[in-house]
Amino acid sequence: MLICDEYLTPTSLEEAFAAMACHRGECRIVAGATDLLPWAREGRAGDVEIPTLIDVSKIPELHERRADGKRVRLGAATPIQRFLDDPALAAALPAMPRCAVWFADDQIRESATIGGNIVNASPAGDGIPPLMAHDAVVELAARRNGSIVRRKVPLVQFITGPGTTTLAPDELLVAIECDALAGYGGSFEKVGHRRSLVISIVCLAVLVQLDGAGRGFEDVRLAIGGIGPVPRRLTAVESFLGQGAVTAARLEQAAAMPVELVASRTRQAYRRDIVRGFMLRGLIDAVRAAGGGTLTPDLARDLEAVYA
Amino acid sequence: MPELRIEATVNGRKVARAAKPHLRLLDFLRDDLGYTGAKEGCGAGECGTCSVFVDGVLLKSCLVPVAKAQGTTIETVEGLGHAGGLTVLQQAFHKAGASQCGYCIPGMVMAATAALRANPLASREEIKERLGGNICRCTGYQKIFDAVELARDVRNGRRPASALAEEDPVDGAFIGASVRRLDAPSKVSGALKYAGDMVMPHMLHLAVLRSPHAHARIVSIDTSEAEAVSGVEGVITAVDVPGIDGFGVFVHDQPIMARGKVRYVGEQVAAVASEDPLVARRALARIKVVYETLPAVFDAHEAMRPGAPVLHDYAPDNIVKHIPIRVGDVEKGFAESDLIVEEIYSTQQVEHAYLEPEAGLAYVDHDGVVTIVSPSQNITHHRHMLSRIIAQPISKVRFIMSPVGGGFGGKEDMVYQGMLALMAMKTRRPVRLVFTREESIITTAKRHPSHTTYKMGLMRDGRIRAAAIKLVSDGGAYGMSTEGVMRKAAILAAGPYSIPNVKIDTYGVYTNNTPSGAFRSFGALQSQFATETHLDICAEKLGLDPFAIRRINAMRDGAVTHTKQTLKSVSMLRALDATEQVSRWETGAPTSRGDVRRDLAGEGTRPPCTLGTRFANSAGKDSESEVA
Ligand SMILES: Cc1cc2nc3c(=O)[nH]c(=O)nc-3n(C[C@H](O)[C@H](O)[C@H](O)COP(=O)(O)OP(=O)(O)OC[C@H]3O[C@@H](n4cnc5c(N)ncnc54)[C@H](O)[C@@H]3O)c2cc1C
Ligand code: FES
Ligand code: FES
Repeated sequence: MLICDEYLTPTSLEEAFAAMACHRGECRIVAGATDLLPWAREGRAGDVEIPTLIDVSKIPELHERRADGKRVRLGAATPIQRFLDDPALAAALPAMPRCAVWFADDQIRESATIGGNIVNASPAGDGIPPLMAHDAVVELAARRNGSIVRRKVPLVQFITGPGTTTLAPDELLVAIECDALAGYGGSFEKVGHRRSLVISIVCLAVLVQLDGAGRGFEDVRLAIGGIGPVPRRLTAVESFLGQGAVTAARLEQAAAMPVELVASRTRQAYRRDIVRGFMLRGLIDAVRAAGGGTLTPDLARDLEAVYA
Repeated sequence: MPELRIEATVNGRKVARAAKPHLRLLDFLRDDLGYTGAKEGCGAGECGTCSVFVDGVLLKSCLVPVAKAQGTTIETVEGLGHAGGLTVLQQAFHKAGASQCGYCIPGMVMAATAALRANPLASREEIKERLGGNICRCTGYQKIFDAVELARDVRNGRRPASALAEEDPVDGAFIGASVRRLDAPSKVSGALKYAGDMVMPHMLHLAVLRSPHAHARIVSIDTSEAEAVSGVEGVITAVDVPGIDGFGVFVHDQPIMARGKVRYVGEQVAAVASEDPLVARRALARIKVVYETLPAVFDAHEAMRPGAPVLHDYAPDNIVKHIPIRVGDVEKGFAESDLIVEEIYSTQQVEHAYLEPEAGLAYVDHDGVVTIVSPSQNITHHRHMLSRIIAQPISKVRFIMSPVGGGFGGKEDMVYQGMLALMAMKTRRPVRLVFTREESIITTAKRHPSHTTYKMGLMRDGRIRAAAIKLVSDGGAYGMSTEGVMRKAAILAAGPYSIPNVKIDTYGVYTNNTPSGAFRSFGALQSQFATETHLDICAEKLGLDPFAIRRINAMRDGAVTHTKQTLKSVSMLRALDATEQVSRWETGAPTSRGDVRRDLAGEGTRPPCTLGTRFANSAGKDSESEVA
C-alpha cells in the first residue's frame, strides 16, 4: 500500500519545483503510478509511507509532442498508448507501435508514461531500447537559485543500473528528444510468459534504412533489453552490417554476435537462443518494413533452408 | 492529513466529496460511493476486475490515485445500462453464457464495451487483443469472445435482436437447448454483491498479522501498544478463543490463530480491527511477537525420516494420512512380466487463483447469533466446527454463503471465518476482512505437490500384469483436505485399467510449507499424470501405439476397480476412439513419425499468440510476420 499524507498535482513546472523544494527528502514524483503502486505491495516494498506525492502528469510541458523531419520531442508524461494511436509519432518512431502493442495492455498504456518507464530504469523496460536506437537524449530540469536550469543527457548514459539513473533528487525528467527516423523500417521483438501484461524476458528494437536500390543497408540501429543490468545499443552489430548487402549469410552472422552479451542473472541459455532468433526475425521484419519486400521472401527461404 | 476534494461526474451524477489522499480511484468508487461493480482482484494492474472509464478512456482503477479523478467524468459498470436495463453487450454476455462465478465479468463487460467503442467492427482477433488485460478463471474466454461478437453483430444489424433472446426449449425439453443462466443478469450488470462488496453500519475492518517464520515457537505476544492506538477497536490472538480451538476438513489440527507456535510463513498470529483499514494495518506493526525459531522441514521425504522436525505432537512421524491398497500379489506379477518399467513423476504446488480473494463479513445479530457471511464452500461443516471453537450452541452460529467468486476447492477451509467471529464477538460490531491477492497466495491452501514412484510389469503384447505405486504428497503445515486427497489419489492411482496385481501407497505428509488442500480433481490429477505418462513410456518400450496399449488394458463394462467397485458401464473405449479421431492421431509407436505431421495446425488447434491485429486493419497489408 502506498500511503501519503498529501497528494499534490501541480499544473506548471514552477509549481512542481516549489512543491519539491518545500518537501525535499520527503516526497516522490508520480506520473502514471503504474510502477509505483504495484511496487508498494507485499512481497516487494510492502507498505510504503511517503509524506508527499507530487503528480507531474498534469503539467502541460510534460505532454509536449512534436515531430519534424529530423527530431522528435516528447514530454515525459506522454502515455505509451500515444505511440500506437498518434500517426505522426508512429511515422517518426517506426519501432514504437509494435513496442507499444506488446506493452502491458490497452488500459495500462493510457496511464503508463514514457518518462516513468525511463526513470524506473528496469533492465527489461520496453520503451528504452527503441529510444536508445533513436539516439535519444533526456532533458532534465531543476530549479536552482531561483531559476529553472536544464541539462541534456544521452539516454545510454542516463540509466546506470537496474533502477538507477543520474537523475538528481531535485530534478524532473521533462522531455525526451530523439532522431525522427521516418522511412526506416522498424520492428520490435518481445517474449514473456503470456501475450498481455508481461514483463519482457528479452526485448529487441530494430531500425533499418535501405539504400536507394533497396538491396543494401544504409543504416542499421539495434538496441536490446533484458539481457543484462541495463538495456544497450548493439553498436558492434550495427557497424558490421553497416552499409553492406542484405543477405541471409550476413544476417546470420549478425544474429550470432550479441549472443555473448547475455549477462542476465537468470536463464542465460534460454536468453541466448532468444537473442539469435530475435535478431534474425527482427532484421527481416525491419527490412521488409523498410521497403525490402522483394528481398525478404528470399531471405526467409535461405534462412529456412539453413535451419530446416 | 490534508484531504483531497474530488469533484467528478460519476455515472451521470455530480459527486463532490472529500477523499483521503492515499486512496486509489477503486477505493473511492467502492468504499466512498458504493459502486462495487468494480472489484479488486489483484490491486496491481494484472487482472482487469477494476476497469472503469475515466473521460471515456478505460483504466484499471486500482492503479489510479484518486486525485487523478478530479474534474473527470467516470463511468462504471453500473452506469452502462439505463435505469437498470442491460446494454446489448450485457444481454449478449447473458445469452452466450459468458459468466460463471461472475467476478471477472463486470471488468470483462467494461473491456468489451471499450473494444467495441474503439472499433464497432472489431474482429475476434482484435477483440481478444483488446481484452488482453482482463483475466477470467472460470468461464474460459471463448464464450466471452462469442458474446462480444454477438453484440457486435446485433449492433451492426448483421444478426437480429432476437439473437439475444432466450431460445425456446426444443419440444419443451431443456436438455440440448441453450438456456440462459438465471443469475447472469446480476453478474453482467455488476449488481451482485460478493462478501467483499458488503457493508454494514458501524462496520470494522480487520487486518491480520502473519508469521514471518516457517517454524517457530511463540515466546510471547504483546498487543498492548496496538490496543492503545486511537481508532483500534479490538485486537485478538489465540487467547481469545473461548472453546476448543482447532479446525480442518478431516483432522482439527489448525488453530484459528497460531497457538504456541507457527508452522508456516503467512500463518495468522493476531488481528486488529478498526473503522479505518489504514489504522488497522498500521497498528499491526505495534504488536510485539517474540519468536524462537525452530528447525523447519520443507521436503515431504525429509519430513518422513526419523529425526526430522515434528510439526504436530499428535503426529510424531509427520504423516497426515497413509492410504494403502493391495490387490493380488505384485511381486508375483512382476516375476511373470516380460518387461518392468520404473519411473519417478513429480508435480508442483499450484495456486487456485480464483479472482475473488477471500473475504467475509461477521456480526452478532440481535438474538446473539454469531453470523458469518463468506464464500465458504462448506458452510455446514464450518458451522459445526465454529460452534465448538467459540463454545456456543449450534443454534447460536450461522453461516451464510455469499456468492463465490471462484473457489475450485480453495475455499473449503475455514481459514479466516474464525477470526471474524472472534472479533465480532469481542467488539460487538460487524467486522469485515478482505484478503489482498498476496495474502490469498501466501496463506491459503494449494494443490498438493506430489512425488510418485511407479513400477509396472507388462507382457510383450501390452497387458499389464502388476503395478506398484507410491505417491508422497507435501501436505504443508496443516491437514486441511489432505486425507481426502490421499484417498482419491489412491483410488485412482492405477488408472482406469484392469490390472490383476496392484500395490498402492499414498502418503500425505506435514512440512513447513504452505498447507495443501482441495483443488479441482482432488488428487486425481497427480496420480493420473503419473499413470498416463508411464503408459506412454511403456508403449514406447514395447513398440506399441499409445492408444493400443490403453485399449488392451482399459476397463470394460462390468469391470471391478482396485477398490472393489463394479462398474456397470464404462465409456473409456468410446472416449479413446473419439480422442484418437479428433487429435488426427498418427498410428504407431511413439518412436515412429510419418512424413507429414497431421496433428499440427489445422482445425481445432490454436495458432501461436500474436498481437497487432489493429496494424493489419490500418495498413491492410502484410503486417504479420511469421518468418524464422
Ligand atoms: C500490469 C503491468 C504491466 C506492465 N507491463 C509493462 C510492459 O509490458 N513493459 C514495460 O516496460 N513496463 C510495464 N509495466 C511497468 C510500467 O507500466 C511502466 O514502466 C510505465 O512506463 C511506468 O510509467 P508511470 O508513468 O506509470 O510511472 P510511475 O509509476 O508514475 O513512476 C515510475 C518512477 O518514475 C519516477 N518518475 C515518473 N515520471 C517522472 C518524471 N517526469 N521525472 C522524474 N521522475 C519521474 C517516479 O518517481 C517513479 O520512481 C507494467 C506495469 C504493470 C502494473
Ligand atoms: S487490475 Fe485492478 S484489481 Fe486487478
Ligand atoms: S467468471 Fe470469470 S473469473 Fe469467474
